[in-house]
Amino acid sequence: MVKLMAVLSVPAALLAAVASLGVVVVDVREGGPGGTRIVVPVPLFVAQTALSLVPADKTRVDLDRAAEHLPLAREVLEALADGPDGELVRVEEPGERVVIVKEGAVLRVRVVGRDEDVTVNVPLALALAALPDERGQVSPLLLAGALGTARFTDLVDVRSGGDHVKVYVW
Amino acid sequence: MKRTSSIVAGLLALAVLPGAPAAAQAPAPAPWLHVRVEEPERQSRVHVNLPLSVVEVALKAAPDIIESQGKIRFGRHGHGMALADFRRLWTELRAAGDAELVSVEDGDERVRVARRGDLVEVRVERSGKEEVHVEVPVDVVDALLSGEGEELNVKAALASLRNRRGDIVRVNEDKTSVRVWIDERN
Repeated sequence: MVKLMAVLSVPAALLAAVASLGVVVVDVREGGPGGTRIVVPVPLFVAQTALSLVPADKTRVDLDRAAEHLPLAREVLEALADGPDGELVRVEEPGERVVIVKEGAVLRVRVVGRDEDVTVNVPLALALAALPDERGQVSPLLLAGALGTARFTDLVDVRSGGDHVKVYVW
Repeated sequence: MKRTSSIVAGLLALAVLPGAPAAAQAPAPAPWLHVRVEEPERQSRVHVNLPLSVVEVALKAAPDIIESQGKIRFGRHGHGMALADFRRLWTELRAAGDAELVSVEDGDERVRVARRGDLVEVRVERSGKEEVHVEVPVDVVDALLSGEGEELNVKAALASLRNRRGDIVRVNEDKTSVRVWIDERN
């Protein structure tokens, strides 16, 4: 009995360590009877390590004229982060509703259509980290660090038809 | 027991005293700029609410016309009035106090620009029905014209808007209504 407990305690401790460091979970459920379900849990530190190993040339984007607006985009995001919480945008048309709310350090975007319901929660720190620099270079290291701020956040929740895709950081 | 009561009473007194440190340090509510565009026929509504601090930053996004210090070039491209002339005109109008500055009547349309107290009002009426109502505080115009040369000082105008509460623009057309205002609520 003691042996069994000792054997089980190793993976249990490992699991606890991974869980305490965070896990990114991608959960895909196909609609309809017999629809498949795929759940891919990726330990956050693995995702962060993988991100930090991405070659620099793979994270360079061609900015063209957008480059001049990047400092401004950064300033707007920073001002939003510092600003008060509240509903920023609401667009309602027959069959469609878009709502953007700032809640703490997260921007919550909800798009509800006739046959779809999309929720995207963007931690502002993550959005800032994802902005390329003036040479169009996105820093994987910064992005990896910012992923940590997304813990306990449902990043994406998409329901379309009977399908349901969810990405969350636990 | 008596000592406990004294402490509780003291704490209560501190809490309700005017100018208690916590109350004194309470931040002033942030002003929000609201824009509502509604088209009832299409059942379409667009509501945008932005903290004024974000608007100040975002205004820099306007294309080339805005310089880094938040000033807009004015006229000089063959259209409109040179800013220096406009500034002179404004100085005279400002000194005139409450008055109707412009009145144009064309068929069933009437456009009036008037100074009323600390506001400059622009009203457009069609068939006796008010369709456009713009209210710009005199302070905001002053701030806007506080730039030098051919530049409008948007930054100063926005700073001035920080103290403004209430409607700035109201447009009621047949199918569309637009309202822009500032308050301290989201």
